[in-house]
Amino acid sequence: MNYGFVIDQERCIGCHTCAVACKIENNLPDVVWWNRILTDGGAEMDIPAGEFPNTTIEYVPVNCQHCENPACTKVCPVGATYKDEETGIVHQDADKCIGCRMCMSACPYTGVRSFNWDEPTHVLDMNIGGVDAPEHQKHTVEKCTMCSHRVAKGEEPACVEACPARARFWGDLDDPNSEVSQIIKKRSFKQLLADEGTKPSVYYVG
Amino acid sequence: MTDMTSAAAAAPINVSQNTEQQGKKASASWKSTGLTVGIIVCGILTIAGIALWAMQLSGSMIQTGMRNLDSWGLYITFFMFFVGLSAGGLIISSVPKAFGIKGFGGISKVAIMSSIACTIAAIGFVVVDLGQPTRIWELFVFSNIGSPLMWDIIVLGTYLILSCFYLWAQMAHERGRVSDKALRVLSVIALLCAVMVHSVTAWIFGLQQGREMWHTALLGPWFVSSALVCGTALVICVVEALRKVGYLSLDQAYIVKLAKLLGAFVCVDLYFFACDLLTEGFPGAHGADVVSMLVSGQLAPFFWIEVVGCAVCAVICFTPKLRTNPLIVIASLLAIVGILCKRIQLLVGGFQLPNLDYVGALSPQTITNWEAGWTDAYAGMVYWPTPLEFGVMLGVVALAGLVFLLGIKFLALQPGDKIQAESEK
Repeated sequence: MNYGFVIDQERCIGCHTCAVACKIENNLPDVVWWNRILTDGGAEMDIPAGEFPNTTIEYVPVNCQHCENPACTKVCPVGATYKDEETGIVHQDADKCIGCRMCMSACPYTGVRSFNWDEPTHVLDMNIGGVDAPEHQKHTVEKCTMCSHRVAKGEEPACVEACPARARFWGDLDDPNSEVSQIIKKRSFKQLLADEGTKPSVYYVG
Repeated sequence: MTDMTSAAAAAPINVSQNTEQQGKKASASWKSTGLTVGIIVCGILTIAGIALWAMQLSGSMIQTGMRNLDSWGLYITFFMFFVGLSAGGLIISSVPKAFGIKGFGGISKVAIMSSIACTIAAIGFVVVDLGQPTRIWELFVFSNIGSPLMWDIIVLGTYLILSCFYLWAQMAHERGRVSDKALRVLSVIALLCAVMVHSVTAWIFGLQQGREMWHTALLGPWFVSSALVCGTALVICVVEALRKVGYLSLDQAYIVKLAKLLGAFVCVDLYFFACDLLTEGFPGAHGADVVSMLVSGQLAPFFWIEVVGCAVCAVICFTPKLRTNPLIVIASLLAIVGILCKRIQLLVGGFQLPNLDYVGALSPQTITNWEAGWTDAYAGMVYWPTPLEFGVMLGVVALAGLVFLLGIKFLALQPGDKIQAESEK
C-alpha cells in the first residue's frame, strides 16, 4: 500500500481550510503549520503574476510529500523519521528526535518540516482535535503525519474531509481502482520537484 | 621566560631528562604570565559560553537566528570551519613520517595539539546546535548507519581519540618506547583518518540533492583542500606565536617551507572554486543563480574577501622577498579568514535559494526576517546570527583555546632532542 494525495489545482480556491483543519485536528502549536497554501504567482501571497488584465495565479497546497524515496529518512542519524512500509506514510517520532535538523536540510520541499524553535503554545488552554493526535515537543522536528491516527481508524486525513471545493483526494496509489489512481490515470499531473528523484506521493492535477 | 623548577611538579615523566639537560632545552611545564592569563581568559569565556548555552536550552532556540527555512546557522558554519582547522596539524605532522620525507622541524607535537583542540571545538559546535542534547545517547543506541551525520560522528570520534593517541605515541617515541615502524604505521592511519574526516563532513552537505549549492561531487576533495589551507595557516600562526614567546625555537627554513606549502594549498583551493563556479554557471540553468548570488548577490562580500584574501596569501607565500615573518603571519590569517568566509557562503548559500519558489504565509518560525515579508526576507542574507549565538560560539572557540593552552602548559610539546639538534644544524 502507498497512500497519497491528489490535489486538483483547478478546484483549489486558496481558502486555507485544509491548513486550518490540519491545525485543529493535530492540535498544532500557535505558529506551526504542517500544511501551507503557497501562491504560484507574484511576490507575495495571493498576488497574481503579470499585469492586469494578463495575470496568472495558481495555488499550491504543500504538506509532507510522503515520498517513495524520501531524502529525510536516509539522513536521520537516529531513525526518528522513517517510512512505514505498510502504508507509505513517512513518520516523525518526536520522542526520538535529537533536534539536529539534518532532515530539514535534506528535504527538498523546504518548509514542510518544522522545528519547534520555541516551547509549543496554544491560543486555547485545552487540547483540541483528535484525542489521539500527536504530542508537540520543544526543540524537535515535526510534520504532516497524513493524519495517521485517523487513517488507523479507517478515516480520511482531516484536510481531505474539510476541503470545501473538494479539491483534495486521498487513497492508495498502488490500487489501480482507487479514486486517486483513477484521477492520475485520466488527467495530466505534475509532482513537485520531480527531478530530485524523491518520487513524492502528492500529485497535482489541473 | 621558562621556569625549570616547576617541571618536577607538573610533569614527573620528564624530570630526569630536564635535570640532565637544564638550560639546553625548555622544560615540560612551561610557565609565563601571558600563558596563565590566556588560560584564565579562555576559562572565563568557556564558562560564559556554557551559561549562554544553558540559556538557549532553558529558554528556547527561538533566541537564535535560525528558522524553518534556514534551519542551520553559525554553529554548523563553525563546525565545518573547525573540522577544517583540525586538519593541518595532523596532516603536517603525519605526512612526513608516513612517507619518510623530511619534516618541519620540531613542530609536530604542537601541530597535533592544535588538531586536538580544534576537533574538540568541532564536536562542541555540533552539540550546541542540537535541540535535544540530552538525547545524544540515542546516537549510539539507535544509530542509523546510513546517515552521513552518523558517519561524521563515528569518524570525528575516532579522529579525536587517534589524535590523542598519536600525540602520546610521538612523545613515547622520543623516549624510545615506540619504534620508528610503529610510529610510521600510526602516521599512515592518522593521515587516512584526517582525509576521511573532511570528506565525511563534506558529505553531510554534498549528498543532499535538494540544495543546489551543496550537491556536487567536488565538495569532498574541496573540503580536504580547504582544510589543508586553514589547517596549515593555523599551524604557522601558532608556531610563530610560540617562537615569539620563546616556547620553542625553529629554523626559519621550516617556516618558509610551511609558507610555500600554504601557497600551494591556497592555489589548489582556488582552482577547485573556479572549477565549481564554471560547472555551476556554464549551463546557465539553476546553477547560474548560485554564481550570481556569490559574485554579485547577497554573499558577494564573503566571496570577494575569500578570493582576494587567498590570492594575496598565495602571492606572499610564493614571493621570496615577501616571505618575512610578519607577512607570513598576515598571509596565514588571510587564508584562515578566507576559508571562514567560504564556510559562511556554503552554509547560507544552501538556504538562500528557495527550492519551491512559491510564496506563502509567514510565521515567526518560518524564516529569520519573517516580518519583512517573503521578498525582503531573501533580499539580503536570509540568515544572520543573534548575539546569543555569537556568545555561545565564542564559548566553544574559547574551549578550544583552553585545551590548547593547557596542553602547552602541562605537556612536553617542544621539539625532542634529536629533532632539536637537527633543526639547530
